Amino acid sequence: MIIVDDIYKRYQTDHGPSKWILQGVSFVIPPRVSVGLVGRNGAGKSTLLRLIGGVDQPNRGYVERRCRVSWPMGFGGGLQMSLTGRQNAKFVCRIHGHEADMDDRIAYIQDFAELGGSFDEPIKTYSSGMKSRLQFGLSLAFDFDVYISDEVTSTGDAAFKKKAQDAFKNLADHASLIMVSHGEGTLKQFCTAGIWLNDGTAHWFDDINDALKAYKDTLPK
Amino acid sequence: MIKHVYENPRTHLAITLGVWKALLLREAVSRISAGRAAWAWLLVEPVIHIAFMIVIFTVVRMRAVGGIETGAWLIAGLMSFFMFKRAGTQARNALNANSTLFAYRQVKPVDTVLMRALLEGFLSIIITVIVCIGALFFNINVAPDDPLTVFVAFFGLWLIGIGYGLILSVITTLVSEIGKVIDIAMTPIYMVSGVIFPLANLPVSFRKVLLLNPLAHGVEAARMGVSSYYHVIPELDIAYLYECGLGSIFLGLALHRYFETKLIMR
Repeated sequence: MIIVDDIYKRYQTDHGPSKWILQGVSFVIPPRVSVGLVGRNGAGKSTLLRLIGGVDQPNRGYVERRCRVSWPMGFGGGLQMSLTGRQNAKFVCRIHGHEADMDDRIAYIQDFAELGGSFDEPIKTYSSGMKSRLQFGLSLAFDFDVYISDEVTSTGDAAFKKKAQDAFKNLADHASLIMVSHGEGTLKQFCTAGIWLNDGTAHWFDDINDALKAYKDTLPK
Repeated sequence: MIKHVYENPRTHLAITLGVWKALLLREAVSRISAGRAAWAWLLVEPVIHIAFMIVIFTVVRMRAVGGIETGAWLIAGLMSFFMFKRAGTQARNALNANSTLFAYRQVKPVDTVLMRALLEGFLSIIITVIVCIGALFFNINVAPDDPLTVFVAFFGLWLIGIGYGLILSVITTLVSEIGKVIDIAMTPIYMVSGVIFPLANLPVSFRKVLLLNPLAHGVEAARMGVSSYYHVIPELDIAYLYECGLGSIFLGLALHRYFETKLIMR
């Protein structure tokens, strides 16, 4: 269960504080419910994911995680560009306290990401699809209750999307997903509930289709 | 229902130690193996610096400083100063270089700074030993008469490097302009620390001001350890070196604690 209680967020810029990105966002994500976040560009979707993931702190309000939450995957976050895929994987194993069974985890990541020889090449040589394969594999190698995905699936090819989907089906009895995606099909495949972010506030929908409908109704025809 | 989640949570200490180990190994890999012969450059920089200074001192025919051979005097001074400078500079840039890793909740900014300083301390000691052995081939004897004093001096300078790195990493992240000013100030600091000219030759009143700088005490102490014949400045105070080192570390840790969330924010 994740409780988000009345959070406010704005960033500090060189010209003083920015406008409020999130203004009084509150919701509760029950256990084992996968949620899709929809909203326009700049509505605060990635910001909200970072706050849920504990990477950033809200200016006001609080986020309570009563379960193990992954780091937010997406946009190369958490990958050190000058190091190889394997070195990054080792790093993540170590900070999560899996020093002892590191070999098994790395074998899993290598198998899931299907990067071939590139696994031992620096991340900066990877395409965006390769990066998201690695990021997905990295987070799936650890037992989280909630996985946070920021557009990770959007850069993968069809085979990878299928693989990610199968992996989540297997996890569905004890884990869930919070994801941002602009692909309507992806959201419907992965998520049951939806959150629509608009003007700094969040609207909860028990059905992702209703969230998508509410979002689309505001778009100019 | 979600009981299995907290089956065996790691203690805070275990998490921190895991993060430190991971960061240390990560830094070591990129410091030693990134780029072409990165490890060689670690050694080339101080060697060229020392060689250049020795040539200059030879040209002006200064064969001994304060009762010890010029070569030994220079090597002791430069290597001890580098101990501070390398640890400090590397630690200071830790936040920039590791910003992507803050995507993991477990990694705190202060961890990256401390681990960089630790790694650079190790490397500096190894490099110093290599330089001293290499110097023997040029008939420069830097084998210390009092190894413990040399170690005490290097350790104190390393502490100041950590404090410098902790404080400056916060300040340069929050106010980037200050970093540029400090870069400009670094060369004068090198000069007034008595690395390449003997502080003992200065008038007492002037020297008193320069000795407010703790680095000067560390550099002099290192030379005192190298040769028991060295005419060390009478005001030398190793306790002052350690007071400044521990004081700056305390201030740096406090700054990291206070600004923790701001350092992670983008």
